[in-house]
This record gives sequence, C-alpha cells and structure tokens, in this order.
Amino acid sequence: MANYFNTLPLREQLNQLGVAEFMDSAEFADGVNALKGKKLVIVGCGAQGLNQGLNLRDSGLDISYALRKEAIEQKRDSWKNATDNNFTVGTYEELIPTADVVINLTPDKQHTSVINAVMPLMQQNSTLSYSHGFNIVEEGMQIRKDITVIMVAPKCPGSEVRAEYLRGFGVPTLIAVHPENDPEGKGLAYAKAYCVGTGGHRAGVLRSSFVAEVKSDLMGEQTILCGLLQTGSILSFDKMVEKGIDAGYASKLVQYGVEVVTEALKQGGITAMMDRLSNVAKIKAFDLSEELKDIMRPLFQKHQDDIMSGEFSKTMMEDWANGDANLLKWRAETGETAFEKTPAGDVKIAEQEYFDNYVLMVAFIRAGVELAFETMVEAGIKPESAYYESLHETPLIANTIARKKLFEMNRVISDTAEYGCYLFDQACKPLLADFMKTIDTDVVGKNYNDGKNLGVDNRELIQVNEVIRTHQVEEVGAVLRRAMTAMKTIKTV
Amino acid sequence: MPEAVVHIAQLNVQYGYKTVLDGLDWEINKGESWLLGGKSGSGKSSLARAISQATNADGKISISFDHSSTLNPKVHYVPNWYQFTNLEGDRNFYYQQRYNKQQKNDTLTVYAELLHFGEKENLDFSDIADYLTLFGFDDCKNTQLIELSSGEHKKLQLLQAIWLKPQLLIIDEPYTGLDKQTRKNLNQVFDALIEEGMTLLLISNDTDLPKQITHFAEIQNGKLAEVDSAEDFSMDELRQQKTLPYFLQQEPAFYSDTILQLKNIGVRYGEKEVLKNVSWTVKAGEKWLLQGSNGSGKSTLLSLLNGDHPQAYANDIYLFGNKRGSGESIWDIKEKVGIISPELHWYFDKSAKVWQSIASGFYDSIGLFRDLGFDKQQKVNQLLDFFDLLPYKNDLLTSLPLGKQRLVLLARTIIKNPTLLILDEPCQGLDQAQTTHFNEVVDELCRHGKTLIYVGHYESQIPNSIEKKILLEKGEVKAIETLLEAV
Repeated sequence: MANYFNTLPLREQLNQLGVAEFMDSAEFADGVNALKGKKLVIVGCGAQGLNQGLNLRDSGLDISYALRKEAIEQKRDSWKNATDNNFTVGTYEELIPTADVVINLTPDKQHTSVINAVMPLMQQNSTLSYSHGFNIVEEGMQIRKDITVIMVAPKCPGSEVRAEYLRGFGVPTLIAVHPENDPEGKGLAYAKAYCVGTGGHRAGVLRSSFVAEVKSDLMGEQTILCGLLQTGSILSFDKMVEKGIDAGYASKLVQYGVEVVTEALKQGGITAMMDRLSNVAKIKAFDLSEELKDIMRPLFQKHQDDIMSGEFSKTMMEDWANGDANLLKWRAETGETAFEKTPAGDVKIAEQEYFDNYVLMVAFIRAGVELAFETMVEAGIKPESAYYESLHETPLIANTIARKKLFEMNRVISDTAEYGCYLFDQACKPLLADFMKTIDTDVVGKNYNDGKNLGVDNRELIQVNEVIRTHQVEEVGAVLRRAMTAMKTIKTV
Repeated sequence: MPEAVVHIAQLNVQYGYKTVLDGLDWEINKGESWLLGGKSGSGKSSLARAISQATNADGKISISFDHSSTLNPKVHYVPNWYQFTNLEGDRNFYYQQRYNKQQKNDTLTVYAELLHFGEKENLDFSDIADYLTLFGFDDCKNTQLIELSSGEHKKLQLLQAIWLKPQLLIIDEPYTGLDKQTRKNLNQVFDALIEEGMTLLLISNDTDLPKQITHFAEIQNGKLAEVDSAEDFSMDELRQQKTLPYFLQQEPAFYSDTILQLKNIGVRYGEKEVLKNVSWTVKAGEKWLLQGSNGSGKSTLLSLLNGDHPQAYANDIYLFGNKRGSGESIWDIKEKVGIISPELHWYFDKSAKVWQSIASGFYDSIGLFRDLGFDKQQKVNQLLDFFDLLPYKNDLLTSLPLGKQRLVLLARTIIKNPTLLILDEPCQGLDQAQTTHFNEVVDELCRHGKTLIYVGHYESQIPNSIEKKILLEKGEVKAIETLLEAV
C-alpha cells in the first residue's frame, strides 16, 4: 500500500490539508436522525469503543459489537466490557454483514488487519468510520468504492467522552469525510449524526479531513504534547537534584506542576498561563521561552517535514515490523529515569507555588505550544486544526503525568504517539544541553520572586504582553474556547 | 474537679466576611458525651473541624489523652461529606459511574480500603469481623467503592471510626442515610464504646440517640449554649406559606396512563445480584413510597427509571408507554423525570452557583451550558423566591448549609414541571423542621397531577400524599401495599 498523501498532486495535498471549518451548532439541528433505525456495529471494545457505544445507545441508536473470535472465546476484557453492559456481541462474520455503519475503534496498529478482515463482509453502500486517519493516509488503505468513509474523533480519553455526555455536555470533536469514498454524498450527514450521538456537538466540532487530522495529530503528539513534556520534565527534575533541591520536592513539583500550569492554559490560553506569574517572573519566562523557541525550531521543523514526507510513518512501521524493538527499548529507558523512580515527596505545594517555583515549565510550555502551532500553520495546516493538536490537548496529557508520571503518559497515549515522543526526546535533550547549563534553581525549584525588587519597566512589560496576546494561537483559541463553555477543571492535586 | 478532655478557649472561625464562631469557650470533661444540634449554618461543622485540626485554630484548643486507657489516644473526625478517590488519586467521578461497567478497576474494593486503613492505623483485622456483620458488609468485601450506595459509604466511614476506637470521636451527622436497623446497631456500639471510656461528640438534630449522651448544646451567635435535651434545640424558622408559582400549578405533560411498568427485572454485578425478579407498575398520578435497607437495590432500581443505568436495555421496562431501548434517547426520558438523590448531590458540579444549578434543570445537565430565554429566567427567579433562596442566588451551591442545598436541588428538579418526580432520600441530613417543610412543599407540588416516587427510611418523615408503598429486600420485592389514605 502506498502512502495516500504522497500520491496526491500538490494542489490536492494543500486542498485537503486546508480543511478546517469550525461548525455552527445549527448544523446539528437534525440530531441523530440520519442514523436512526440504522444498524451500527462497533469493532473493538476498549475505552473509546465502549464509552462511545454507551453514548450512542443512550442517544437512541442501535449498537452492537463485533469482536474477534478469540476475544469472545477467551472472554477477554473487550468481550466483558460489551456483555456486562448488555450489548449484543458477535464475531465479524455474524455482525458485519448486517451493519449499515461499521465503526472501527481498534488500536491504530491493528487497522490494516481489521479492515482487511471486515471489508469483504461489509454490505454494498454501507459506511465505515474511523477515529484516526493513519490507516487511510499513511498506510494507504484502499476502501471499496461503494463504501462511504468518515471519521469522528472525540478529542478526549474514552472515560471523559462518557462522563461529559452524562452530565449533558460533550467533548470537542473532529469530523471528516474521505473525499475518495463518498459515493452517495451522505458522509457528512452520517458523521454529524454520529457526533451528536456522542454529545460532541455541544462542545464544538471542527470539520477536518483525514489528511489534516493525521498530519496535525502526529505533529502535536510528537512535539509539544508528549515529547516536550517528557524532555522538560526530566531536565527540570535532574537540574533540581543537581543543584541540591530535595528530590521528593522536585519530583512532586514536576509531576503535578505541569498539570497545574496547563490548567490555566486550558481556561485562558498562553495569556492566562503567563498572567499567573508576577511581572518579573513573566518577563523571565518570556525571555527563556524565546530562547527555547530559537533553539528548538529546527527540531520542530524536522518533525513536521518527516511527517509530511511520510518518512516518520515509514520508520515507525519498520519498527512495527521489527517487533517494536526501538519502542520497547525507549520505553524501558524512560522507566529507568531518576524522575520516574523518585516518588513525589509528602510536601504540600500550594497552587500558586507551582507557578512561582516552576517558571521554567511555563517557558517550556509557551515555547512548545507556539512552536508546534507555528510549524503546523507554516506547513499548510489551518490554525483551527493546529490549535486542537497543540494547545487544546496539552492539559489532557499533563493530567496523565500528574497521575503516574511519564510511564503513565506513555501507557495512555497511542503507540504512535509514544514512538514519536521518544524520537523527539532523544533529539531534544542534547539540543538543550547548553541551554540547561545556564539554568539555576531560581526558575526551577525556588520562588523566582524571592529577594527580588519586583518592579519592572512598563514599556518592556507592555511589549511582552503584546507579543503573548496577539499570537495567532491566542486569537484562534479565544474563538474556539467560547464553544467549550463548560470545560471541566481537571484536578488531581 | 474532673479532668478536661477537650479545653477550648476563645475560638474564632471566619469565612470571608462572615463570623461563624466568635470567641467560643467549651470544656468537655472525662465521662461526658455531647450532642451538638440546632440551626443549620450555625457553625456546628466548623466547630467539629476546628477540634479535629486543633493546631490550625485561631484560639486555644487543647486535647488531653488518657494513656492508661485501652482506647487509641487519638482524635478521629468523620465529616458529613466524604470523598473517596480512584486508584490514581483522582476525584473526577460522575454520578452514574457505578452503573457503567468497565473491566479496569477504578477504585479500591471495600476489603482493600479497610486493609489499607488498618495498616495505616496499625489495627488488628480480627477486631472488625463482628462490626462487618453488624453493618451488613459481609457480602460487599469485594465490592468496589464506586459501586457502593450512599448509605453504604456512610457505614464504611463509621466502621473505620469504631474500629479505630479513638479516645475522642467526632461525627458530623452520623445517621444520614442509615436504615432503621443499622441506626439501632450503631447506637448500641456507641454506648459500649462510651462505657469503655470514649468521649463521643455527635452533630445531629435527631432524637433517636445513644443512651449515654450526657450533654446537649447548640451554637448561638458563635458561642456555645448548653440546653437540657435534644428536644430543646432551636429550630430553623418555619417558612412563610407562599403560593406555588403559577407554572407549577399547571398539570405536567401527559404521556400515558401507565407511567412505568417493570416486568421481572434483574440486575447483577458479577456475583452480586442487585435486583431479582422485580415487577412493578406505577399509574399516572400515584404517589409511592419506596423502602428498603441500605444496599437493598433502591438506587439501582431508580436509576433504571431515569435512563442512568445501561442495564435498562436488557430488561423489560416501559416508561411513559414506550419500551425502553426502542429508539428513545436518555434525554427524552430525563425530560419527563425530575430526580434528586444523594448520589446526584454528591457528584454535583462543585463550581456551580445557585442560580445556574436551578437553571440547569431545564436541560437535565450538570452545569449550565446554554443561555436562558426570558421566560425560563423568570421561572428560575420565581422558584428562588418560593424557596426563600433569593439572597443566595449568586453563591456557590456548596457554600450553603446542607438543607438549603437540598432545596436548590429540589428547585432544579421541578423547574421543568416534570411528569414523574423521583425523590431518593431527599431529606437526608435535614433536621425535623426542614424535613417537614420539605415534605409540605412536595405535597403542594403533587396536588397538581404529578406522579411521585419517594424514598425515605422513616414513615414519620414522609409527605402526607403518599398512598402506596413498595418494599425491597435484598433486591427483591418484599411487599406492595396500599397505605391508608391521608385525611
């Protein structure tokens, strides 16, 4: 199978990369009608599969689960998830031929084998749904021409998809129709109805394309979301220990700090995050992040280039074929870092202290979010898509670090994200070696304001504020966040 | 001169601009046990918290322990609001979560929780065996915390407290949500512990108490005032009779003569059968009482009726004339049902303000995600006035006394004038006067064609309009009876 994106002429590449329309809620007035009475069969019953299915059924749709024979015979967790909640469960052979819509919610790596097994069983003129476009775009899977291919991708973990639905809201969702597979022109209507069924229409829906989703998703997860949070966490912890800060304190500051800091980011963007610092600390964080942006820009660009050219997916698929040799090696190394092995100390850290004593992380996050966003937009991805895959998701990933550090983060994210994260981390640490030599505990471990005259030059502060507030990620973010009226505060501390 | 166990001098507690305790003095001597009662919002819980964290108080609190006693030289405080965390230390639960089955274990089991507590406090596990039986926990050792009902959570907290046997035990609202038998057992345990030398401090307005309570007090103007008995506590002022807002005097929408019909319902979680063979029909306009001991399956049964329980799809249930799972959405059902339950309250949005909380009832959402039109805004304001809640409209729901919070949730529930009202222990944690007030309002509401299902442990504390009763025992229907018509 050839990389789909690379088969397209440049204008069509740009055309598909540029699909990003923030949808008006009036577009969902038809509710779930387009799917009412249709038979929806979900393949896979993990966190996304189960929770989306529960929501869709509670919205009045007909849901059942197709699982592999072995999963049913051995009563695996996916089988238990589905049967314990009273869904009909059957093999591919039993259920797929009856399906009007087949919803593929298996892990990315299994897509090729799942689709190869499912496609021959699918009815004429039925519909196939994905929640990630890797299989279509990077692996170049060709779907039978009578089949409609759509994507509905809630931008949250499965448990949140359920929790938000039940409280009468939803999670921001991305939908798309694959232009090669929309023979009857019904794709968008189906994707919208599916999105309503999961509650996504209440929290802001972005209409995207398979290409834009994949190229931006890969970029976001490798760089700011997982890669930089991993690198920044490890470097910060090591620096504090090196400079004599108590290891338990350092471990706690790093583990929870990123969550506290990005909570402000989620509610009000880079501006709100930076505004939590005193004026002097804000200027310091700004200077550090400008420096970080200069140093890391070539690395961000390399990642984007490799994603666009297909180089990234090619090397990763080679690693798949090689029994995940690199992935497993890097995973083991992450588990052995001093940060991972030092439990968070039994010390109380006040919410504000996470900002004041961790200016470095604020700088890392501003640099990472802005760089990822800028690099994506330069590559032809629309700002709305870039926002979702950079700023929007950062707090969600930070929450996984707060739970159980980097190991947990890497367990929760997809293998694709994990692989990209390690790639970035391997390259970023040496790149920042010189920068880290200039870092002391005033920006990581101790209160930056201590012993300082807190006065600032008005003009300098105004200029810094201006640069932060007028960045495009802030302008787009302000519009998109308005639709997510009731974002829940995530708190583990 | 008896030796003081607790000595408090000039204790001050302030929340924002509000003075709660104002130079409070108190001496608790050895051999005394106290009941603290009186008006909601008078500062009882604040006082209990202050004693339990004596070191942070503004004022002097000294606690002395008897080192010759067999009891643990400790202070243990059981708050009336309790939050457990999942295995990842997270508290982001949603209230229907216990009905949604996932293979991954999210929370500890009851057994593991007790083991953990025992290890932390250095307790002997064999000491708890009798209590487990007494509190009916023998079957739930392997139940996950998330699967417990609110009454069972309360019992678990109490279980830990009496297992610890502290020299000073402070419990805020010990009886909330407990069934009659458990309550009786608990009082016997308290009496035995007091005889062993424990000093017990209870906060409650109940009158069904341990025999060994020796002193009674309430807080007046931030200071302690002793009274003779539990009957002498000051009560909240009775509310002025107000006319029900016009929109609630209208008959709710009519869908079907039969509101609900259940045939041989069964729900099981793994080994545990929560409901067995339950059949029940409720006709339009009927007023039902649902009773059963803690863990008998009441909440699970109600969750099937409200669209909250995924097992509803596998059972033979008709709601408002439609078979469950015939293409309706849970929002179609919720629109017709007004519900309050301890769980709903427990997991309610912590950031919600009073006005928003009530307004969210139009959409059955936890949190308000839309702007209200003029007509709906008016209804919110009318209800705020009806429940005397206007002064609180911009306050955080959680900052109100419990009784007021319940009224807010009742207002939220009725604002859409639902056809069916489900009130699951709505008066949990309310005192006698508040309960009477609450039930009068329910009676008033029900005069206009509503159907009611009411859960309450005490028949002396139910609305007058109740006509029928269904009793659950271990997940089965034990009895269905018609009560005497209210005169």
